[in-house]
Amino acid sequence: MSPTLAWGLVIGMAVTNIVIRLVPIAALSRLELPPVVHRWLSYVPVSVMAAIVATQVLRPGGQWMLRPDNPYLLASVPTALVFRFTRSFLGATAAGILSFLALRYLLGVA
Amino acid sequence: MPRSTAAASSAPTRRSLLLRGARLGLPIFLGYMPVGAAFGLAATAAGFTVAQATACSALVLAGAGQFIGLAALTASGNLTAALVATGVVNLRYLLFSATMAPHLKGVPRWQQVALAFTLTDETFAVNIADAREGRADRFSMTGVGAVAWIGWTLGTAIGATAGSALGDPSRWGVDFAMPAMFVALLVGQVTGRRELIAGALAAVTALALSTVMPGQWPVVVAAIAAASVMTAVPA
Repeated sequence: MSPTLAWGLVIGMAVTNIVIRLVPIAALSRLELPPVVHRWLSYVPVSVMAAIVATQVLRPGGQWMLRPDNPYLLASVPTALVFRFTRSFLGATAAGILSFLALRYLLGVA
Repeated sequence: MPRSTAAASSAPTRRSLLLRGARLGLPIFLGYMPVGAAFGLAATAAGFTVAQATACSALVLAGAGQFIGLAALTASGNLTAALVATGVVNLRYLLFSATMAPHLKGVPRWQQVALAFTLTDETFAVNIADAREGRADRFSMTGVGAVAWIGWTLGTAIGATAGSALGDPSRWGVDFAMPAMFVALLVGQVTGRRELIAGALAAVTALALSTVMPGQWPVVVAAIAAASVMTAVPA
């Protein structure tokens, strides 16, 4: 690949991404948003996270895994419990990875 | 002077806030290293030098966006097509950025730029959860972003340098690092019955859409739909 094309992609993507990410923050953080917009925005995080979890756990790698021995689904349980009782993201993530490894080994699934 | 010492230690310093953010960002670091390495590998395979691959991650910081841009450039040789592809994939950040905006009132412009630059799915999730508990501030958010950026850039540099000598990182269970973090974040977000309903709506919608829409689009459309329904239906 030519250096011009490679650096063109790097610089072009850098500019594209910062523009998309900065414009709403720069524009909206100066405004007083109406209550209905605040209300709408307050439901965005939980919706985003539930949608991400559902797709990552039930469709890992973009394929359905609706099986009782789905290690992603099963490892979510100890992960959620550890977070519920410790409130530690790092602890929950570590517990999740360890139980995922253990489940994958015990269930013999890839 | 014991009194002034006590006052100094009770007020969090910038450094302690940054470190608190860095700790919050550690799960992101764990998840970004292997994916960054995969990007480094893909970029050098496509003809990028180690410097170009590493600079790409350091300056762009967009997981799927980088992979798509690279793939589009390799397939078409057309820079405009590649930039349109990465832009479309990253349009979801308009929604995330707008959601962060009310929490960044009064933050100096330069720091808004830094926080916007480090806005990813994962930093968004961690910072918005922290903000809704009333704990996030511009320094902790900067700490989260910095740790995520280091993980992504370092991972890319390692992947681009070491190449296929690394082996398959999935044997370390890192494929579950991001799902685990999002499970924990989700548990933290479900604070009441309405949040539970919103999450259930979004989850079902995203799963249904994921069979017909590519990438992260099901997540974005499902979130917009669930937030709209919950706003329209009175409590």
